Amino acid sequence: MRRPSIRWGSGLLLVVLLAVAVIGVAVGGGRATDRAYELEQRLRCPVCKSVSIADSPSDTAQAMRQVVRDQIAAGRTDDQIIDHFRARYGGWVLLDPPMSGSTLALWIVSLVVVASGTTWFVLRWTRRPEPREPSTEDREMVAAALEEIRMRDPIEEQP
Amino acid sequence: MSTVLPAAGWSGAMLGLAASIVLALLGFRAQRNPGRVRHARLRVTAWCMFGGGVLSMSALVGALLTDNFAMSYVAEVHSRSTPLFFTITSAWASLGGSLVLWTLVLAGYTAVVARQVRSVEDRLGTGALGVMGVVGTFFFGLVTTVANPFTIMANPPADGPGANPLLRDHIMVAFHPPMLYLGFVGFTVPFAFAMSALLLRRGGVDWLRRSRRAGLVAWSFLTGGLVLGAWWSYEVLGWGGYWAWDPVENAALIPWLVATAFLHSAVVQVKRGMLQSWNFVLVLATFALTILGTFLTRSSVVVSVHSFSQSAVGPALLGFFVLVLGGGFTLFALRGERMASQSRPERLASREGVFLVNNLLLTVFAFVVLTGTVYPVLVEAVTGAQVSVGRPFFDRMAVPLSLGLLLAMGIGPFTPYRHATLGVMWTRLRVPLLTASSAAAAMVLAGVRDPGVVLVMFLVTGSVAATVRQLVVTVPQPRPAAVWRLLRSQRAYWGGQLAHLGVAVVALAIVSSSAFAQRATVTLDRGASAEFAGYSLTFEKTERHELSDRTSTDAHIVLRQGDRVVRVAEPRLNAFAGRPQAVGQPSVWPGAAQDVYVALGALEDDRVVLNLYRYPLMSWLWAGGALVAAGGFWAVSGRPRRKTEEAAAEVVARA
Repeated sequence: MRRPSIRWGSGLLLVVLLAVAVIGVAVGGGRATDRAYELEQRLRCPVCKSVSIADSPSDTAQAMRQVVRDQIAAGRTDDQIIDHFRARYGGWVLLDPPMSGSTLALWIVSLVVVASGTTWFVLRWTRRPEPREPSTEDREMVAAALEEIRMRDPIEEQP
Repeated sequence: MSTVLPAAGWSGAMLGLAASIVLALLGFRAQRNPGRVRHARLRVTAWCMFGGGVLSMSALVGALLTDNFAMSYVAEVHSRSTPLFFTITSAWASLGGSLVLWTLVLAGYTAVVARQVRSVEDRLGTGALGVMGVVGTFFFGLVTTVANPFTIMANPPADGPGANPLLRDHIMVAFHPPMLYLGFVGFTVPFAFAMSALLLRRGGVDWLRRSRRAGLVAWSFLTGGLVLGAWWSYEVLGWGGYWAWDPVENAALIPWLVATAFLHSAVVQVKRGMLQSWNFVLVLATFALTILGTFLTRSSVVVSVHSFSQSAVGPALLGFFVLVLGGGFTLFALRGERMASQSRPERLASREGVFLVNNLLLTVFAFVVLTGTVYPVLVEAVTGAQVSVGRPFFDRMAVPLSLGLLLAMGIGPFTPYRHATLGVMWTRLRVPLLTASSAAAAMVLAGVRDPGVVLVMFLVTGSVAATVRQLVVTVPQPRPAAVWRLLRSQRAYWGGQLAHLGVAVVALAIVSSSAFAQRATVTLDRGASAEFAGYSLTFEKTERHELSDRTSTDAHIVLRQGDRVVRVAEPRLNAFAGRPQAVGQPSVWPGAAQDVYVALGALEDDRVVLNLYRYPLMSWLWAGGALVAAGGFWAVSGRPRRKTEEAAAEVVARA
């Protein structure tokens, strides 16, 4: 048996270390944000299609990046810049589907799946199965299972 | 020009088709009534199927090598100037050929399954062969009809355009597609055993063990295929990334996620006799998703709904997908209930509880990626509007789910079954927790304040430390020989831990290469220099090389550290004969600590535009991926215990 002082000691050390990490992150937190780069990542390159204008080496993407920078320099907001591109290229250009219009359903479906999965999971664990008397069927099943265990081969996979 | 090879290829595919039909009939009949079918006939049929696949593939490669433009596929993807290596790999560079590869791999797996069916009394095995026959009928059917690459051209062209430039540029084209296909097609085998078990109304551990082994093989190949694919696109596409959440990539990721869930929940069924119905669902879903993925990528429906009906392959694959989904789940609905496991997990705080969390996260992950991938297609089909779902959406969903998975990975393998008390968990996780929080605190003190990086560092170190602790605690003596013996004797567990180690490495590489990436775009006149990531880059000259099938122009960019030349990067532009667009090829300087990636934005004789990237720890992504695949193979590498037991039983019986 370990002495309690070691247990308390390591618990305390853990708390201190975690506090250092959490406070450090909280104080100096966040990446330096590059507004232009973040906006560029949300716009789809019309030429190569599979990547954003931030990643695309095409001339069109380069021109679009310049437009983004010009508009930032002109003091326009993120929404205004995104709307500018949407007006010119259509909803297709937005890689980040907005929570409205024709992409609203995407968000609803995704969030509903996450929520219902979690709910199902929680319900399943909080509902205690009520104990009941084993039926004859159950007894037969147990007998069959015991038989099967005797016959079957243990599968690999352990602890 | 000779028509022998096209004829031979087509005959091979027809042989495969005939053998598949016969195998389906024989397999199901043998399952219903083992006495009616002789074992040798099943086996011969499976080998005929394999022979058909080999014959059609050989004819295809032979025709490519002999410039036989009378074969439609050769005229479509080959050109006389293509070098030998890329001539061979162009056998799967386009739709028809890739389906031939699919049938070959499928027939190969069928032959392996047939070898393991040792007598007709193995009704689970004969039924599985029947299912493989049905799937084989579909794919050989595609090759012989709508996707036939062996059509004889009435007026053969003198030369062809050659394959897509991106597919004749890099050695990876020889490894990534076959590896991916070995994974994708491999999921037919678990599906076949699951369907066979449902038809037999026989649950239990037999179908599961065989599905799990086959699933592990396929999963390991698919892991390798995914990593090689990411690596390839990083080396070739030149946008500086490796994963774009492109539909083609997602199509391979979705079945991988569901198969990963299956590999984990299979353990719960083996160990605790739970989740049998759920395992059926996962196996059926994995196979259906491979077909859906093939449909999405092969019918070009993701480019536009309107290109869907350009070839009949798309509708055929969609029909088969509906058939698999409808047939599989109808059978499951009819039979699954009675095979549902009776026992339920007792509490969440147990190994099986963490396994369930893992399954929930993985299936939600798969579902979200699937929704994001097919959503634009559905919207376009219904309303005609074009929308995009890209990286921002997927990242927002994937990051929290992945963090949850990393956490489960760090805790699960060290949690006891049935009931984990706080005391036990504290004993087992104290050292890992201390290690993890020391690592996180050290990162913070070293000046790294990015929450994502610190959190991933914490989870990853914790999980690695827990694995090491487990090894130290379990091994009987602290000697290398004893460790080796332990790793060999408990392959499933330690294979899993090796894969987890790989996941940890991958997570670290992903987060550090994205959080600490540096990017710059510079324009250099000849002789001019620029500073990037501690190097000075000088544009010295351009060189033009005439090769047999292309003109390659490279820029010599000299990287200096101080006055010392450390690297000459040669990003290039390849102009292929008969292709209007020149294709850029970046220059990657890989290293253990960082990659320096130089891609051409524009290239003139005296001026060059360069896109420069620096990615810390990037190479570890490929190494980690290799570890994950190796873990899967290690888990399945031991001989199935059944054989040794049967042998022992035989010895006992003889004595």
